[in-house]
Amino acid sequence: MIRPVLLSVWLTAPLLAATSGVQPSISFNRDIRPIMSDTCFHCHGFDSKTREAGLRLDVREEALKPTKNDLIPIVPGKPEESEIIQRIMDPGDPMPPETMHKNLTPAQKELFRRWVAEGAVYEPHWAYTPLVKPEVPRGQKVTNPIDAFIQARLAEKKIKPSPEAEKTRLLRRVSLDLTGLPPTAAETAAFLADRSRNAYEKQVERLLASLHHGERMAVWWLDIARFSDTVGFHGDQNQRIFPYRDYVINAFNSNKRFDQFTAEQLAGDLLPNPTSEQRVATGYNRLNMMTREGGAQPAEYLAKYGAERVRGVSAAWFGSTFGCAECHDHKFDPIKAKDFYELQSFFADVKQYGVYNDYDYTPNPELKGFSNDSPFPPELEVESPYLATRYARANDELAALVASLRQRVADPAAAVRFGAWSGETRAYLGRVPSGWEPIRDATSEFRLRDKVLPERTVEFEADGTLRPDKPLGFRESLRLKFRPDEGRLASIRIDVGLVPEPPAKKRRSSPQPLMPRVSVIGADGKARELPWAYGEATAKAPRYENGFELHGVTAGWRLPEVKAPENLTAVWVLAEPVALQPGESLQLILTGGELPAMRVTTSRLGAPQPLATASSATLAKLTAPNSAASPDGSVIDAWLASTREDSAGMVRYHRAVAKVSDTHGGKAMTMVTEAAPPIPVRLLHRGNWQDETGPLVTPATPSFLPGRLESTPDQRLTRLDLAQWITGRDNPITARAVTNRLWAMYFGIGLSAVVDDLGSQGELPSHPELLDWLAAEFRDGGWDLRQMIRLIVTSATYRQSSDYRAELREADPANRLLAAQNPRRLEAEFVRDNALFIAGALDVRDIGGPSAKPYQPAGYYAALQFPDRDYVNSDADAQWRRGVYTHWQRTFLQPMLANFDAPARDECAAQRNLSNTPQQALTLLNDPTFVEAARLFAARLAAGGKDDTARLRSAFRAALARDPKPAELTALTTFLAAQRATYRAAPAEAEKLLRIGVAPPTTGDSAELAAWTQVARVLLNSQEVITRY
Amino acid sequence: MNPFDANRHALSVNRRTFLTQSAYGLGGLAMALMHQKLAAAGAGGSPGAPVTLPPGWSGALREAHLPVKAKRVIFLCMAGGPSQFETFDWKPKLKELDGQAFPDSFTKGQQLAQLQNAVLKARGAFTAFKQHGQAGTEVSELFPHIGSIADDLCVIRSMQTEQINHDTAHAFMNTGSIIKGRPSMGSWLLYGLGAETQDLPGFIVLNSQGKFGLQPISARQWSSGVLPSRFQGIQFQSRGDAVHYVGNPEGVCQSTQRQVIDEVRRMNGLLADETRDPEIATRIAQYELAFKMQSSVPELTDFKNEPQAMLDLYGVKEPGDGSFASNCILARRLAERGVRMIQLYHRAWDHHSDLELGMKAGAKEVDQATAALITDLKQRGMLDDTLILWGGEFGRTPMGQGSGRDHHINAFSVFIAGGGVKAGTVYGSTDELGYRAQENPVNVHDLHATMLALMGVDHHRLNTKFQGLDVRLTGVAGNVVKGIMA
Repeated sequence: MIRPVLLSVWLTAPLLAATSGVQPSISFNRDIRPIMSDTCFHCHGFDSKTREAGLRLDVREEALKPTKNDLIPIVPGKPEESEIIQRIMDPGDPMPPETMHKNLTPAQKELFRRWVAEGAVYEPHWAYTPLVKPEVPRGQKVTNPIDAFIQARLAEKKIKPSPEAEKTRLLRRVSLDLTGLPPTAAETAAFLADRSRNAYEKQVERLLASLHHGERMAVWWLDIARFSDTVGFHGDQNQRIFPYRDYVINAFNSNKRFDQFTAEQLAGDLLPNPTSEQRVATGYNRLNMMTREGGAQPAEYLAKYGAERVRGVSAAWFGSTFGCAECHDHKFDPIKAKDFYELQSFFADVKQYGVYNDYDYTPNPELKGFSNDSPFPPELEVESPYLATRYARANDELAALVASLRQRVADPAAAVRFGAWSGETRAYLGRVPSGWEPIRDATSEFRLRDKVLPERTVEFEADGTLRPDKPLGFRESLRLKFRPDEGRLASIRIDVGLVPEPPAKKRRSSPQPLMPRVSVIGADGKARELPWAYGEATAKAPRYENGFELHGVTAGWRLPEVKAPENLTAVWVLAEPVALQPGESLQLILTGGELPAMRVTTSRLGAPQPLATASSATLAKLTAPNSAASPDGSVIDAWLASTREDSAGMVRYHRAVAKVSDTHGGKAMTMVTEAAPPIPVRLLHRGNWQDETGPLVTPATPSFLPGRLESTPDQRLTRLDLAQWITGRDNPITARAVTNRLWAMYFGIGLSAVVDDLGSQGELPSHPELLDWLAAEFRDGGWDLRQMIRLIVTSATYRQSSDYRAELREADPANRLLAAQNPRRLEAEFVRDNALFIAGALDVRDIGGPSAKPYQPAGYYAALQFPDRDYVNSDADAQWRRGVYTHWQRTFLQPMLANFDAPARDECAAQRNLSNTPQQALTLLNDPTFVEAARLFAARLAAGGKDDTARLRSAFRAALARDPKPAELTALTTFLAAQRATYRAAPAEAEKLLRIGVAPPTTGDSAELAAWTQVARVLLNSQEVITRY
Repeated sequence: MNPFDANRHALSVNRRTFLTQSAYGLGGLAMALMHQKLAAAGAGGSPGAPVTLPPGWSGALREAHLPVKAKRVIFLCMAGGPSQFETFDWKPKLKELDGQAFPDSFTKGQQLAQLQNAVLKARGAFTAFKQHGQAGTEVSELFPHIGSIADDLCVIRSMQTEQINHDTAHAFMNTGSIIKGRPSMGSWLLYGLGAETQDLPGFIVLNSQGKFGLQPISARQWSSGVLPSRFQGIQFQSRGDAVHYVGNPEGVCQSTQRQVIDEVRRMNGLLADETRDPEIATRIAQYELAFKMQSSVPELTDFKNEPQAMLDLYGVKEPGDGSFASNCILARRLAERGVRMIQLYHRAWDHHSDLELGMKAGAKEVDQATAALITDLKQRGMLDDTLILWGGEFGRTPMGQGSGRDHHINAFSVFIAGGGVKAGTVYGSTDELGYRAQENPVNVHDLHATMLALMGVDHHRLNTKFQGLDVRLTGVAGNVVKGIMA
């Protein structure tokens, strides 16, 4: 029977009439729940606090009961007696009320009416129901179950799948999908030549085994884990965490099972005898945003961190949005506020500080001495293969440099100077046997900033000890004017005894670092400061610059706390030792330390490693009678460091030393989870952290999912319990969420399109049985991600052509039935990787390692403070690393990444936008990364190929894994000729273009190279290059 | 293929239900809705779907919900949180109490920032106030120029916010939420209304900094969040290219750049013939827009047509020097060119110490240029349809903190001016010590709701779906403040 309202719909939608002859019966999940969720549940759903008229529609038993007004909302089979049908049809007092701006359409009303007429059958929400593996549809001539599901649906609709994509395009697609890199021309050629039946499968195995597969997968997971190099709030300081990224890459490369991957990240520290790797994995729990803002309240921020963690874990593992339940029971899903806080309380033991500093208004004795530059503990020191390689290399380079510097004495003229210096040194050591002389006959002056403090005094003792009347205070300095032995100075040494603990009540929790500065005061009274080459100390408290430890004490010595008498020594060596001219004197300015006394001595000797200066071993060699005739290496070193014989060489030496220090002995610090006694977690009314009236909660798994685990008074559940429950058999949602996201990676859209919300506001999957089959296969097959990926990418569905089929425009406009592949623009990191790879410039030597800094416009960090920052792009050693290693600054994301939709990773991001903007065009056209890539690509092209056509052909093979079409060849040949003419006429412009970036300028015929650079730019800007078809 | 896009999702659900599965189709209204959402959906690019977005964006809203009073917003964000006691909220009683214990009755159980664990003492204004204009609006002597245009302003003395630290307070003021990923006000306007320019980004952010009281800000404050990134604020840089990558590479002139773009277009055209991928048309259009921006941005930032008298009005010493004054002229130039939202940050107002020094310097940096901008717009007849907001992310305590004031959220002052604003008025008031908004409190959601209303938008009806939820600028709160509307 066709009712009038229905008739009108049929008339406006003839297509429907054509495609569905019979009315299918109503499905609650498909037809009714989405409408109820959007229009009813807000007032008549899960949240008891906002429920109106006592009417609840999400549970059938409730909906059949009389309301407060004795009306029965739903009478199964009898729409005319059902209050909800009366109300939705009532034009005078409609439901939902007009103020909600959620009017039901006549068709929706009719759906409701018919659903009630058919008995008002409810179905549980698909994502929360137990996971049972469906039967694979029969009758399809396919071997891959994915194809059976997809083709069965297509057959129902009488749609034919698309043919398989051309071989070249298919290899490019699967290479980009599995490794984020295009195939090389040789790989394409090999694939084309391989006529075997399983040629494609062999390629898939090759790509899955590539270590670049882990890098590609990491981009996916790092968004979910909200991995970033900076803390995100306020000063957005650096945090030390890159070993976690290495862990993720390695986990994918070793095909770590997803249950293990889950347990290690959430609770690696709780596993029996956790390995270093398992503890690194717990960095996941530390990737929430953190603050060090002065005036922030620790309790408020701990509440913020806790809430974010719930959002993160629920998004990552449940594909669900718990966020709303922070303040109230979820309106659309059965997620209660209690679920939110119970989940949060699993993590109450994660050692963390609300505010990472020791401010006087929020004191924190555990963070004593912290500054804006300090790291974010707890951390763990771990091996880094990347750094170990570079550490060994840097040591080799240093050894080679030292050997070459010492060769200087082989030069006869230098040997004469060396001999003279040796004699002078022996004489000096005769006068000053220790090599260290006290400061004599000095005039002294105290200042506060620039203001002279005439009342202050200092006593000098014979051994060089200075005893000021009171310790140097904040911004105070002691200035000493003196002339050392023969007016020569190479080093300053400071020895301190007991370092007392600073008084308890003090504004700054640690004193300023102790720092000597030396100037030459000329005859004209003008001061010229002498820079230090290096300073080092026998012991020091660490100092940091935006999270990275400073080496040595060159820029100041932060004294460690020493409780028992002990001598601490620091020595600073001048970059250029000085010999005073007549009329000149030296000025030493001492600041910081806040010490009652310190011994300050000077020397005309220096050493490349400052503490070796005038050490007993060095002295013995220097005073040995034959020291000039057959010099020991360390004596030559002392000569070089005590004189200006080879100042440039010493600069190189210290640079080489810095390179060694920067590699930290092949080790790195990384934030980890450390378990502490759990902090109390309460149910916060309206999420208000100051409201302490809510009940305390203990860990429990979400109440709306099967197999709930709860803490008992005797046994508090742990993060490990949670992890094991997540990947246990009972939990249906994780396998669904993960396989749905995997699907989206290979088809551009999930089987359920809303990959971050499998709840009732999300979408019923396009192929519910397929999703459940995949999820069950994943779970039952031992959480083997690689096997799932293999299954997907070897399916015929995946291998279809992505060419657009106009005939499906109406039948399946969004291609949800998958009668074709979907083209997809590459993600930000791969847009860059791909261009650099095509150019032959991508650095693929290492897997893992610290973050790298690609070019970035100057001044982009100008609004960052605490500490102030400048961005220095990586040099050639790290400039062309893959995008996955790019420094991730949450508040100011690298512009290229931001322009191509990479998320800031403030929170879990399960899906990226894929926009198409003018900013993207500007980036590809003008960002030095892409211009440099083009000129390097051009140089490669120009070096090979016998003529323009051959070169263009290899350009296309490199960039697009195919040969150019005749029209392309003609067009680009003409373009090339025009560019050649332009640059022949303007050689200076060509030179400029060929110098962009840190790669050495391209050499050769510059007009020719510039013209080819323009061709390369065209290719790298083309849609086909940045899209995987 | 597209990742999840809310509108596309709604579309696909509707379509699927409508076209392939459901027992019944949808009516004409749903079809109209679908078309509207289709337009919105194109914002994210749409390979696989038959329709892509036209590169120019005319807004997700087909028609205004309310009478349109203002067409663009200029938000002069005084970052760091200026003191209301030295700007717009004169409190004689506080002055009397200067240096004495601050009454416990006000502060008990209230949130504090850097005054946690401190003895609280009252700090009276160090500056005098003067009444200005016909309305007799009280403005501190530090701001004589702003005082002189008091009759164009609506001062709100009863602002309140929820976040007491800079980072989160900025997030709240800009996005109405502290949850990351919420779109900023400018992104909402651009998404809802589109822009009147095709040659420039529709939402532009300018930064300047003062001598004292600096605090960091974050690009999150102009992020489009869960809306497609084309709606994000584009930050103009004070160094190098004004817009990232807007300048040609060294060695490439405008004409060779054009040749490259033409060739890219040809390549893309050939690809479109083969694959019929609808995304390609959008890409081609975006390259054209990019090329236009390459000339429109330099033209925009070239001040040589600004007469000296104009530079003097704003107090610009050197055009394009990145100062607040220079940015104010730029803001007017952007407004003239049809940019929907222009946001100027001036980082100078976090005066925990040296309040006097800091306020005097800050006032000197912004007073004249702010007044000049309003005057200039008025002279050009543009003030009528431009909405101006001046204010910080929060205010400052009536209690002293050393030589300064701490952050304060219970009351602070901002002003609005321009299209649809009840000019020459003061709205709301605080208690006698200025601790709490007393009469007509206005919270941030109310401010947002009102600003949207002046732009013709019902704040309940400008939303997007994210993770299954309707996301709005005002969340589930916000009341339009009729009292500040003309």
